[in-house]
Amino acid sequence: MSALVLPNRRVEDWKYSDLRNAIEPAAVESAPTAEWRVDVSGAVEQSPLPEIMPHGRHGEMGVVAAARATSGVFLHIGKGERGTAHLELVTAGHGRTLIVVEDGAMLTLREAAAFGDFANIAFDVVLGVNAQLDHIREAAAHNDAVRVSDYSIRLAQGAAYRAHFADFGAKLSRTELHIALEGEGAEAHLSGVSVLGDTGHADVTTHITHAVGNTQSTQLFKLIAGGKSRGVYQGKISVAEGANGSDSRQTAKGLLLGERAEIDLKPELEILADDVQCAHGAAVGDLDPESLFYLRSRGVPESEARALLMRAFLEDAVAEIADETIRADVWSRVEAALAELSA
Amino acid sequence: MAAVETREQVAALGENYKYGFVTDIEMERAPKGLSEGTVRYISAKKGEPEWMLEWRLGAYRRWRQMREPNWARVHYEPIDYENAYYYAAPKSSGDGPKSLDEIDPKLIETYNKLGIPLHEQMLLAGVAVDAVFDSVSVATTFKAKLSEAGVIFCPISEAIRDYPELVKQYLGSVVPVTDNFFATLNSAVFSDGSFVYVPKGVRCPMELSTYFRINAQGTGQFERTLIIADEGAYVSYLEGCTAPKRDENQLHAAVVELVALEGAEIKYSTVQNWYPGDEQGKGGIYNFVTKRGDCRGARSKISWTQVETGSAITWKYPSCILRGDDSVGEFYSIAIANHFQQADTGTKMHHLGKNTRSRIISKGISAGRAQNTYRGLVSVHPRSSNARNYTQCDSLLIGGKCGAHTVPYIESRNRSARIEHEATTSKIAEDQLFYCLSRGIPQDEAVSLIVNGFCREVLQQLPMEFAVEAQKLVGISLEGSVG
Repeated sequence: MSALVLPNRRVEDWKYSDLRNAIEPAAVESAPTAEWRVDVSGAVEQSPLPEIMPHGRHGEMGVVAAARATSGVFLHIGKGERGTAHLELVTAGHGRTLIVVEDGAMLTLREAAAFGDFANIAFDVVLGVNAQLDHIREAAAHNDAVRVSDYSIRLAQGAAYRAHFADFGAKLSRTELHIALEGEGAEAHLSGVSVLGDTGHADVTTHITHAVGNTQSTQLFKLIAGGKSRGVYQGKISVAEGANGSDSRQTAKGLLLGERAEIDLKPELEILADDVQCAHGAAVGDLDPESLFYLRSRGVPESEARALLMRAFLEDAVAEIADETIRADVWSRVEAALAELSA
Repeated sequence: MAAVETREQVAALGENYKYGFVTDIEMERAPKGLSEGTVRYISAKKGEPEWMLEWRLGAYRRWRQMREPNWARVHYEPIDYENAYYYAAPKSSGDGPKSLDEIDPKLIETYNKLGIPLHEQMLLAGVAVDAVFDSVSVATTFKAKLSEAGVIFCPISEAIRDYPELVKQYLGSVVPVTDNFFATLNSAVFSDGSFVYVPKGVRCPMELSTYFRINAQGTGQFERTLIIADEGAYVSYLEGCTAPKRDENQLHAAVVELVALEGAEIKYSTVQNWYPGDEQGKGGIYNFVTKRGDCRGARSKISWTQVETGSAITWKYPSCILRGDDSVGEFYSIAIANHFQQADTGTKMHHLGKNTRSRIISKGISAGRAQNTYRGLVSVHPRSSNARNYTQCDSLLIGGKCGAHTVPYIESRNRSARIEHEATTSKIAEDQLFYCLSRGIPQDEAVSLIVNGFCREVLQQLPMEFAVEAQKLVGISLEGSVG
């Protein structure tokens, strides 16, 4: 058996997140199976993973996780039912999770990313006709950890997936989403904030496929990188041949605060149908000097003015979270991270 | 008007490709295949000094160890490098013509068919033409006027002979011998190309222009262009291309190097209209080009403008290294891909110096079953404070079988840098088309009009005589793509 070759900067998809540099292959190979604490309410049923898993698309590490995890979590919510689930990783390692939301059902999923040296989780999510999933993931700062989450999400006709990813950095933190809009009227709305300081790293990599027409996707990601941190966003949108009426918007913005910080953005469009609306925008910079000047001219001290503008920069991405309580929770974490950055 | 005229021309030629013809001239070829012997043959044929031969051989040996890149979004049958000719020269040019009268009348005829009568251009347009017919430059005009200004404009083989110090200093300094597979191949076997040196403080008195033309069947063309603008100099360089029609795929791997020293400016414009293959995707030119400019001095500027309508496959990323403080890089591009054409093109802007600025405007148009990709990089080095970039990338799709792709990379490592990128993909609006049709404008002409409007920001950057040609080309390239 040849040793595991970890994705590294020579692999296009991992150009800005060199896993080989962050962890030894031996540590990946010897990692145990991850364990979860699961709280459910409403009509959510929890059971062991079924023997036959849905055939979703995964990235390199997702495939590794799926192959190495010996057990996992299976959450299921029946037709037209409602419920919430809270997932928290208690033992890091390779993990596997399956979430099935049946036709017309609604699930709110809250997820807390792992602590521990190395976590690598493959998620498979299947949404039935008109099903809805609200997904909020918080990944606290942990600058010694290496964590990879690889999501495969498939949406049937009229299904909606709304997700928010708040990442406060790790030694290497990678969130990878493969979303397939497979039924007409399916929609995916992603948002996220990465607030990084010190030597933190956070990489959000998305690939949304508009497999059929009249599907919609939006993305709004905001990155703040202080210290020597590195924020990464890679977003690919594919519109299949004949998927007319697809509508896709993508925005990624970075704010560089540290002298030695780095932000890398790679929005990507792959369009094979002509009757589509696709646009992306990306920008990196410092805080707008004119806005700063405006605030200071009105007597707001510089540090306060900067903090205000940073909050304003992140706010619209966090505002995408529909649930008020969760939004307030996420926002308080964002505030704490910002305060630490300014300190 | 343009569309009507074009249709007549096309009908007259009985072909869709306006420039599809082969001039039958006895060729002098290098032996088939690529070996050290081929490299030595080319070098000897050019009467090159020992150092140049060594340079080529070094590149050849390196190339042997390299692999063809496969990351671009283009697909083609593997190229058999052993089954091609690497050098072809018109025999009659053995002694080199002293004036136009000495030039083979068949060549002149070819140029006339192409619509670039040398006499007329010399007299009317004031353009000095260093025309390249296959591999050897056969006519250089306005030399006297240029040398009066101190500008050197000559075939690169002449420059190697007459200005070895300049060539040694700059050749391979922007695109290193080992840069990439195709550039290294070019370094080993390049046969000719242009050399321009504009001395300190000189504004080149005219637009410089080279017409490239691939002619002999089965020969790749490996042009090498080196342009140096010394401190405070200015030069505008035009490159236009057409090629005769044939079924065999042809490899073209050129290298263009630009060096702008302190306060210098180079404007490089290209209209590329090589044979794109027929409507079934058979044949056409493989255009694998490495173009790079180095803003070496402070306050220097390099501007690339390209109109890419031809070639079966285009693999081309004219780039700028913004090394000098306050230097400026620009990239204006129109890439049109129709039928089975594949274009993967874009730019790289490397911000190294302080207060460097770059601007990228890219317009991609796909029709038929073509695939058109914009691939670009904006990278800001930690030292490059106050760097500024603006990128706009628009794609237009005509028909449901083609593809438009956008792959921009943004890498910022300086907090004071500002980078902005915008991209859109859409189709020709029905209402615009309807508006034109309802006013009696024929469909082809309406498409040409709308697309020209879509491309306007780029077309405006072209020198006047090129802009007119380019506007017509946009129309010709898209004929019959709607409806």
